[in-house]
Amino acid sequence: MATDATGMPTEIAPQRLKSLQMISMAATVGVVTLFVLYPVYYLLQASFDVGGADIRPPTAYGLDNYAALTNYQAIIVNTLVVTFAATIMALTFGFLTAWILTRTNVPFQRTLEQLMVVPYYVTPLLGALAWSFLGAPESGFINQLWRHFGGEAALIDITSPMGIAWVMALFEGSVAFVMIGAVMKSMDPSLEEASQVIGGSRVRTMMRVTLPLVAPGVLGAAIFVFAEMLGSFSAALVLGTPARFYVITTAIYQLVSQYPPRMPLAAAMGVSLFAVMFLMLYAYRRITAHRSYVTISGKAFRPRVMDVGWLRWVLFAVCASYVLLSVVIPVATLIYASVQKLAVAFPLASNFTLDNFRQALSLNAVRDAMTNSIVLGLVTATLGVIITGLLAWIIQRSRLPGRGLLEYVVMFPQAVPRLVFAFGMMWAWLVFPIPIYGTFWVLLIAYLTVFMPLGVRTISSVIMQLDRSLDECGQVCGASWAYRLQTITVPLLRPGLLAAWLLIFVASVRELGASILLMGPNSKVMTPAIVEAWFSSSSELTAAMALIQTAVIAITMTIFYLLTRRSAQQEV
Amino acid sequence: MMERKAPQPTRRAALKGGLALATLPLVANPARAQDRPVTKVLDFNTGADIAKAEAEGEFLFYTHDGEPAAASIVEAFGKDFPKIKGKYVRAQNGSLFSKTIAERSAGKFNVDVIQFSEPATAIDFQKRGGYTRYVSPEASGYAPEHLSNPVGDYFWVGVTFAGIAYNTDKVKAADAPKAWKDILNPLWLNGINAKQANSGMQFIQWFELRKLYGEGFWKEFAKLRPRGFDSRVQLYDRLAKGDDKVCALAEYAGYLLHKQKGAPIEFVAPADGLPASQLLNGVADKAPHPEAARLFVDWLMSNRGQAHYQNNPFLYYGSVRKDAPPMPGGTRLKDFKLLIPTDMDALMGAREAFNKEWNGMLGL
Amino acid sequence: MSAGTTAPAIDVENLSIRYGSITAVGSVSFSASPGEQLTLLGPSGCGKTSTLRAVAGLERPTSGAIRIGGRTMFDSDKGINLPAEQRGLSMVFQSYAIWPHMTVFENAAYGLRVRNESGTALKEKVHHALDLVKMGPYADRNASQLSGGQQQRVALARACAFSPTVLLFDEPLSNLDAKLRSEMRIELRELQRRLRVTSLYVTHDLEEALAMSDQIVVMRAGDIEQRGTPGEIYNYPRTAFVADFVGSSNLVQGQRLTEVSDKARIVITTDSGNVLHGVSQGRTPHERPTLSLRAVHLALSPNRPDVPVNVWAVTIKRVVFLGDISQVHVDWGGRELVIRQTALTDYVAGQSVFLSIAPEHCILLEAD
Repeated sequence: MATDATGMPTEIAPQRLKSLQMISMAATVGVVTLFVLYPVYYLLQASFDVGGADIRPPTAYGLDNYAALTNYQAIIVNTLVVTFAATIMALTFGFLTAWILTRTNVPFQRTLEQLMVVPYYVTPLLGALAWSFLGAPESGFINQLWRHFGGEAALIDITSPMGIAWVMALFEGSVAFVMIGAVMKSMDPSLEEASQVIGGSRVRTMMRVTLPLVAPGVLGAAIFVFAEMLGSFSAALVLGTPARFYVITTAIYQLVSQYPPRMPLAAAMGVSLFAVMFLMLYAYRRITAHRSYVTISGKAFRPRVMDVGWLRWVLFAVCASYVLLSVVIPVATLIYASVQKLAVAFPLASNFTLDNFRQALSLNAVRDAMTNSIVLGLVTATLGVIITGLLAWIIQRSRLPGRGLLEYVVMFPQAVPRLVFAFGMMWAWLVFPIPIYGTFWVLLIAYLTVFMPLGVRTISSVIMQLDRSLDECGQVCGASWAYRLQTITVPLLRPGLLAAWLLIFVASVRELGASILLMGPNSKVMTPAIVEAWFSSSSELTAAMALIQTAVIAITMTIFYLLTRRSAQQEV
Repeated sequence: MMERKAPQPTRRAALKGGLALATLPLVANPARAQDRPVTKVLDFNTGADIAKAEAEGEFLFYTHDGEPAAASIVEAFGKDFPKIKGKYVRAQNGSLFSKTIAERSAGKFNVDVIQFSEPATAIDFQKRGGYTRYVSPEASGYAPEHLSNPVGDYFWVGVTFAGIAYNTDKVKAADAPKAWKDILNPLWLNGINAKQANSGMQFIQWFELRKLYGEGFWKEFAKLRPRGFDSRVQLYDRLAKGDDKVCALAEYAGYLLHKQKGAPIEFVAPADGLPASQLLNGVADKAPHPEAARLFVDWLMSNRGQAHYQNNPFLYYGSVRKDAPPMPGGTRLKDFKLLIPTDMDALMGAREAFNKEWNGMLGL
Repeated sequence: MSAGTTAPAIDVENLSIRYGSITAVGSVSFSASPGEQLTLLGPSGCGKTSTLRAVAGLERPTSGAIRIGGRTMFDSDKGINLPAEQRGLSMVFQSYAIWPHMTVFENAAYGLRVRNESGTALKEKVHHALDLVKMGPYADRNASQLSGGQQQRVALARACAFSPTVLLFDEPLSNLDAKLRSEMRIELRELQRRLRVTSLYVTHDLEEALAMSDQIVVMRAGDIEQRGTPGEIYNYPRTAFVADFVGSSNLVQGQRLTEVSDKARIVITTDSGNVLHGVSQGRTPHERPTLSLRAVHLALSPNRPDVPVNVWAVTIKRVVFLGDISQVHVDWGGRELVIRQTALTDYVAGQSVFLSIAPEHCILLEAD
């Protein structure tokens, strides 16, 4: 083998490997810029549009739309109240369960861990619907039972702001769990043990060591969950509207669906939400910028769990009740509702029917839409993990100038409610020289765009914890970027990448806001059809459809889980 | 139906003779209609070239209606014309309008037939040159006021109308509303529902009852803190379950659907009349499948299409066709006294005021 | 390996690293000849790690040139900057950077696999490297099951396995406990000699630097403060900073007595009137020069020693027992001097004694 003076074989590390890295990075940045900023341009344009309604391109520009936002103070306050309350609840659920399941010897840990992510598979609409069956002040099953046993009025009111926040948090808690769990799993337990050894109690250890160490992950999750809540639609629509309680998304929905559609105002609302998210992200960057959160160090560690004694059963109960409240009860409620003609608390033989399932399955559109949704979900998740993985890597690890800016750019689709962002995407891809509008491709692009923040956040929080020297060592050993990616980075990020794949897949299958507007006649997807059924058919049929969707997602997830587990075993 | 001055005498003459001269070209829009031979297919007449339509093989239908409704329409058409595949895209009326306008201003013309849920939208679309003019031979089955002006842009594919409904468990017979003024009863505080401002039907109810009872009527109504929803299904769902006691905008179509499920609800048709909203359907300009589009519109206008609109549970829209059969339940549209806006300019002009008042009333 | 023995194995020329307006490393130059161990010594934040990382290719310098074995790795003027993976170096990281998802064997084999080695050749080399660090029996262990010291050894084996000619060490021993550290120090030195590998070693630990280096470069705030053999650095610190950093020194400043000083000798008088004789080491003194008096060179005696100069009567302020040695603080004309000696245990605080030091141990320092 020919070697030069440094002992380096000359045939390795040719220049093209370096350029592969440059090409990948350039392509990723290019794709992100195109996918995000291109629609954003149209959104900004619309928000300044004060010309004639629905004349494109706009004929006059001004600030009137932003000025008009002051008329919606009550709605902005509503939104913030619900969003903050729900974020805090979701993070509490997520953090507690993540800590319990990754750090303690809770019984049935594996089973619980699998169950914990189930609420996320459940379409938010399903959860909202189930809880509205349960907790509507008048017809809610719980309240019917309550009155049946002599109670007065309503025991719970799920349509109150806190009720809405509760439902949102219940289903978003899973996301917090997945994100925080990924962080905790990759944390060196000796850091916790160090605290215990020096006499710190478990609670103290958790508060003073665990919490600060996973802080970037938790903060990242918080920002993400907050944004998700800010843009969440289903719960507010199903539960808030009956109580005359509107948040920004439901207000936007009304504004764009009435004639004349008030798109410019909706766009201004969306852009303003981005301003809020921008500030939050800026604060996050400031907080995490000067601290090191490397917890996967080159010092390898053994995954160890804490023995919590009899408390393990209490912790088990905590996790179990979360699963019960977010999965078992809602799904059972929906099953119960879906086999009735008119869902009531007390079963009646004459009220029983299987028509809802028959009808749901007989709809051709639903069957096609289901296939499309699954295929789109698989493709989006796979491409999404690649793109967002590279993106997270560029943001966290590269020396690319302007990478800080990228992080803000990536946040845009998250911060702007999907319903509004969808208009930006529609205008953008309509005039795009390559005719993809109305096809499967535009949905794929839309999904990749709107789930970019989800992927980047999930993967970033794991990358942040990865000691840089793990990669640098490979580099000094002479490994090319691609080889390091394959042998070091990807294997180490595996839990984070799998989590991201899972989250993106499910998010795609249950996507609503962007799909409604961008679906073409040949590219229908599932969730809009379900919401449609809720609008135009009945809650019982909707329940049946939502259950079918949930079952299909669950089956796909199980297959994915089995496949990845098998491949993981083969590797070992 | 009240007498209305026809905008174009020539058209009226033509329509009168329409049925008798079914095989002759219509003269309402001579330039277009004359070179269109009319053929009879199944039991209706079409100005479309069926061979060409079948060669086109498909058409795209944009509608405000729900997924199952839209699916049922193209499916029913597909049964009659299996060689033509009907595809559809649906969205709420306002979004549908924005989407269509955006597509057209980007030079993308993919829609063949489009249906809006209220006249203001259709008229706006017409003003922007959204329709292609096609006078269907089946237009002769319609009164001129149920067709666009000028004729050939759109037609009333169906009518939905609303009275009052109440939950019989929650409302004592003595308190039951009988006339429109009864919806203002303070008993319904926090227990009455209506539709959101995006509903064309709601707009027309607001417009018509304001005409009858003055502006104060809705101000009184606002005091009851009504709840607003997006669809009639939600209104009836809540009514049936007792979440609300009275539905102020009870569409007959929804009543039929829920009554069949055994919901404890009752429908009231106030003597002053039932506000009715037309759904408007027409062939889009630059339709990529013009012959299939025409055939579809002819079919919709014919008794075959109209029967589907009247009888499908997701639709249950009344037909304004002169020879329309009875609706499910045995009644005909003409058995009800309907309040349909006739002064389109006044209606268009009132839209902003309605949106403002209604959004404010529902807490938006 | 070729005739390139005349060229330095590592040659760093006018290297500077700036982050925005902050200069992390000022213009530094140094070189190491083949087989030599050169240590960059300095407190944290002095730029030693940045310099090392720049040599490795993990940090992009602002200007200057880096040549390894005569091959240019970086040259700001010529626009050359080879990425780390093309520099053919090897490095041991402070955090060990052991890949937790691989076995010990796979960790050590990495560099060889990158170089397309496989089969028995690979196995032999890896086992050889592991045996070298006494980790042979652990080859099949999962890397996540190792103790700190074992990980350190694996990191070392990995760095050596592909027989690099230049090895970089980034404070490799700082995470080990004291006992292990002194063991590893010797082992590393042995290994480095045996493999005849040129190494660039970064540490903030003086003993480590003294024990392991052929050449030490002391860095301070991004600049080179002094360079030399361990003996030179220790015995003849150039500046107050080095004197202080390199070991406990007493720095004494005073007015130069020009009439008694000559080229080799320097005499100063302190503010309190004590006269101190020292050597100038060829350095040019200032008006108020500083002399370094190493604590171990100061001597105490109960009676006045028989020497002509540098003898003072002092009072003991404090005695601290440190095991092998003791440390005594005395009052010397109003200021404190520290003496470190063995067998000082007889002295007690408050005692009056005589302090002396040979003039050749009072080193004139250059001004900062």
